[in-house]
Amino acid sequence: MAILKNCDGTTRRDCLKLGLGGLVAGGFLGSLEARAIANEQRAKNREADACILIWLDGGPTHYETFDPKPLAPVEIRGQFEAIQTKVSGVHYSKHMKKMAAIADKLAVVRSIRHNQGNHGAGNHYMMTGAPPRIPVGCGAFVSFHPSLGSVVAKELGAPNGLPPYFSMPRMSRSGGPNFLGAKYAPFVVSDDPNRKSFRVRDVALPSGLDGGDFSVRKDIRSSIDKMLRMNDEVAGDPAMAFDEFYDQGFELISSKEAQAAFDIGKEDGATRTAFGRNPFGQRALLARRLVQAGVPFVTLYEGGWDHHVGIFDALDKRLPSFESSIAALINDLEVNGMLERTMVVVLGEFGRTPTINARGGRDHWSNAMSVVFAGGGTSGGQVIGATDKQGYSAVENVLSPENFVSTIYKKLGIDPGKLLRSPDGRPIHLVSDANPIKELMA
Amino acid sequence: MMRRAFCKIFAMVVLLIAGLIFTDDARSNEPVSFQLDVQPILTSTGCNSGGCHGKQRGQNGFQLSLLGFDSDYDFAAITKESRGRRIFPASPEKSLLIQKATGALPHGGGQRIAPNSDEYRVLVEWIQQGNSRAISNEKKLVRVSLNHTDRLLAANESSQLQVTAHYDDGSTRDVTKQATYQSNDAAIVSVDEAGKILAGSIPGETAIMARYMYNIEVCHVAIPLAEKVEASVYKQLPRKNFIDELVWNKLSRLNIIPSESIDDAKFMRRVYTDIIGRIPTADEAREFLGLQKDNKREKLVDQLLEMPEYAEFAANKWADLLRTNPYRVGIKTTLNYDRWIRQQFRQNVPYDKFVKSIVAAKGSTFRNGAATMFRDRRSPDELTTIVTQLFLGIRLECAKCHHHPFEKWSQEDFYSFAAYFKNVSRKGTGLSPPISGSEEIILEMGNGSVKHPATGKVLSPNPLFGTAQVAVEQTGYDVLQSSESPKTLREVLADWIASEENEYFARVQVNRVWADLMGRGIVEPVDDLRATNPPSNSELLNALAKDFSNHGFDQKHLIRTICNSYVYGLSSKANDKNISDRINYSRHFRHRMRAETLLDSLSQITGVKPSFDATPSGTRASEIWTHRTGSLFLDTFGRPNPNEDPPCIRSSDFTVTQSLHLMNARDFHSQLINENGNAAKLAKSDKPSGEIVNEIYLMIYSRLPSADESKFATAIVFGKDGKTNQQIAVGKTSQPAAKAKPSEKGRRKRIEDLMWAMINTPEFSIQD
Repeated sequence: MAILKNCDGTTRRDCLKLGLGGLVAGGFLGSLEARAIANEQRAKNREADACILIWLDGGPTHYETFDPKPLAPVEIRGQFEAIQTKVSGVHYSKHMKKMAAIADKLAVVRSIRHNQGNHGAGNHYMMTGAPPRIPVGCGAFVSFHPSLGSVVAKELGAPNGLPPYFSMPRMSRSGGPNFLGAKYAPFVVSDDPNRKSFRVRDVALPSGLDGGDFSVRKDIRSSIDKMLRMNDEVAGDPAMAFDEFYDQGFELISSKEAQAAFDIGKEDGATRTAFGRNPFGQRALLARRLVQAGVPFVTLYEGGWDHHVGIFDALDKRLPSFESSIAALINDLEVNGMLERTMVVVLGEFGRTPTINARGGRDHWSNAMSVVFAGGGTSGGQVIGATDKQGYSAVENVLSPENFVSTIYKKLGIDPGKLLRSPDGRPIHLVSDANPIKELMA
Repeated sequence: MMRRAFCKIFAMVVLLIAGLIFTDDARSNEPVSFQLDVQPILTSTGCNSGGCHGKQRGQNGFQLSLLGFDSDYDFAAITKESRGRRIFPASPEKSLLIQKATGALPHGGGQRIAPNSDEYRVLVEWIQQGNSRAISNEKKLVRVSLNHTDRLLAANESSQLQVTAHYDDGSTRDVTKQATYQSNDAAIVSVDEAGKILAGSIPGETAIMARYMYNIEVCHVAIPLAEKVEASVYKQLPRKNFIDELVWNKLSRLNIIPSESIDDAKFMRRVYTDIIGRIPTADEAREFLGLQKDNKREKLVDQLLEMPEYAEFAANKWADLLRTNPYRVGIKTTLNYDRWIRQQFRQNVPYDKFVKSIVAAKGSTFRNGAATMFRDRRSPDELTTIVTQLFLGIRLECAKCHHHPFEKWSQEDFYSFAAYFKNVSRKGTGLSPPISGSEEIILEMGNGSVKHPATGKVLSPNPLFGTAQVAVEQTGYDVLQSSESPKTLREVLADWIASEENEYFARVQVNRVWADLMGRGIVEPVDDLRATNPPSNSELLNALAKDFSNHGFDQKHLIRTICNSYVYGLSSKANDKNISDRINYSRHFRHRMRAETLLDSLSQITGVKPSFDATPSGTRASEIWTHRTGSLFLDTFGRPNPNEDPPCIRSSDFTVTQSLHLMNARDFHSQLINENGNAAKLAKSDKPSGEIVNEIYLMIYSRLPSADESKFATAIVFGKDGKTNQQIAVGKTSQPAAKAKPSEKGRRKRIEDLMWAMINTPEFSIQD
């Protein structure tokens, strides 16, 4: 906890005197300390400190990614051939070249299946580990249970005024906190880090204002604020909560560490190129910077994987750069010595139909999907479970979304069997089947 | 297999012998009843709790009904399931049930029962006696009672609860030990497993629930302030209407002294934000503050209730509760529904009529907005949960799957109520995700039935309590001619819901309105009127409900009555006699203003309106017809997310993203610095500096600045260019305004800075 050291012997007031940009997180030392101790204990029981969840929204095909079926008839196996990966006997589909080259670092789960064949419901099930309680349509965006990211945000927290849960470039469908409360909603960075003008919304000052201006405003604000505060906790004065969050916000704006995490320009050109000079590639790089700064959960929410039409053309265009960004992220984490404690997970809400439809696409299919894990104590070079010969359904070592989310929680040192209480007093298990995928556990 | 078969035979033989041996012994004991003796143990030791075997799908293959509400089910689970291996009659102590419960065998739940404890002996005896479902002449549990239902305790004082079970044969039993206890607010009064209640160190009140099987009783506990307050103190307090009297009565019981009354400026800001959902403009504020009339506050309330913004704001609140997700029911339907809701408030339709229109709605969802609920909620059970929660404040959701753990409602109650919706039928395509469905017509032509999910029994429609009229469907259409005004099931239901005798109906609505105006409901959550969740002032809640119903359920009357009370105008500033009061209205409870109120107020302050998708330009935030209309601001400030379930939850918390948004949001920034905005206008104006500062204070804080504030703000806006204002602090303006006036551009920037600073203080966003 470098930040505690920085502030050692310095009071909060001294910190404030250093002025904008020269500040370190000084507030909430008490709560940070408490959290640090809790985290330290937890760290002993966990395999990973952070998770980067790459979500391919729409439901990525398993055939054309990690579960090719070269022996199936052409109307099922499609146009892409299988390629050999670095691990003998393991094949991916033709565009997954960079991923194939690091197959020894990947664990591909081919046998997760569920019963929610539309986007809203499938998203909810995989994002929260709980099936939706009522039938949910495709366009719907639902939340009945706290998402992975929100739970991690609540349990682990983040240092330096950084929000503990990021979602880029937008909020994911079911990625909200539900009854955990707005505090644990993802911090959304919608701005494109691939642009020169990239700044994080609401954290960066609006253009036309500089640090000096802000400092002036801040001073005026503190002099003009005459509202009476009822300091006694029993009064439950919301003005006290206002102050707490104002200070936190200010801490984020002025924390060097936080600002540095957002400053993707600090990366050298070669690294930026390796990740791919496109919005997704740079978001992946930004995710790594955030994890480096102590953020425990980042969702990269990438739309456009609902290939009902012309799947092969679309993937010819999209997959090469996409998979190369993911491979770059994994390689980069390894080079930086972070892969051991950071897990990268790649998935969508479900797989896609075996038979190619009349429009040259594949439709929704929740009987089979591929989910990739790397890092965070996962041993690579594995394929877990299998679909049948034609990829219709997971048949070997069949696993559920519950097993999937339990794995992530367990790796992060959170007990998936934990009992939560909903606002109406109902006891709810964090995950109803708290068994992680054992092959993925160290 | 062979071995198992052998074991079984062996067991039976042993059982026979054991039976012979134990007969004597068993006869010497009272017969043990599964329902009356065993079940309470499984409940009090937590075996059948929601986190364990009582949860749906059970725990590790062993499932019991939640809190033992279904003894037949539990009996089967214990004695028959898993080939009866949970009971070992030959050696009762070796039964899996006993071995697991005592922790003799590995058990995920650990040791729940100590060997040789009373509980242990009862379980073993029950098995010894032949583990039967019922004993002969088994009596029935009718109710439980408590030794105290209302208790005043001093701080840190304790008191023992005693729970008595009453049976149908008139006998009673002390079940204090087997009962479970729960405090609604353990910080005020806690309760331990044995039923001993312990008052905390701060004054307050709460309810303690005792539950024995599915019977509950509540004890209200209050801890008054230690120092007695003379009755004359309360006698001297003003009483503007019945509300004041009832609030003072409650305060006098607790020795709480209310706060002072607020000044006109605060009152004005409070009623504006409460009634029309925005702060007053500078002109409105100036006018009201300048009035010299005795009854100017009452006049203002009347005036606000007649403004079109009242209807839009009230509808905005109801739309929270009724709002449909256009992704589910379609865009056109959602728009229609919104329009219908707004229309009800523009015409000030009485609340009972409003509710009846919804519950009994028929016709096209493209023409009759009121019918939309039936397009959105399609099955009788979905309709049951929303209708009971919205219009009765009864949360039946639990009773859908099991007996309500904190209430009297059973599954039979739930599905009998649901049977009122059995004939709802639909024509057309209501839902066809992902695209909007077409026109759908809601009819009452179905011939459905609703069954009890566990017993399969077809249930006839029945209200939750009291009696309802008989519907044509129940008498048959032959009788239709003879009946004066035949009513359908839903019409009968609507009448029952909105009848004057149904006290829940008025209570939940007055509580909702009261909570909006007073910062906290008399019952919280506002639509959870449980016996185990008692009101903080039941006399007040009942009086408000009665007044509402006596005045034809006129919503404006209700708001007017509350706003005209003396209590409404109390300051939020606590004194040492009411600082710990958070439920008795001895002071105003501060709260953050709603998302729409904040955004509309910001637009007014900056003089620049944001534009929203799918709305005419100039639309205010409280006029938006669906929460799906994008707005980063409204999302950040917690408007309900239609994707969440339940969809009506609106967050009133502060969050760090809100602070950041007010500090740095691009949208707000561009409103503030807009060429045609109020900051630019003020910078251009040639009004004297004091007036400009007054204007800014009226615009943002709805009050005039104090002399110090005025001096400080003037120095900021008209001080010498290029100097920061760090040196200048309120109260010690030793270096006041400079000689040279800053340029218009510089002045504008400083006005923007000042406005930004004020908007970023809690005085702007908190309703005080």
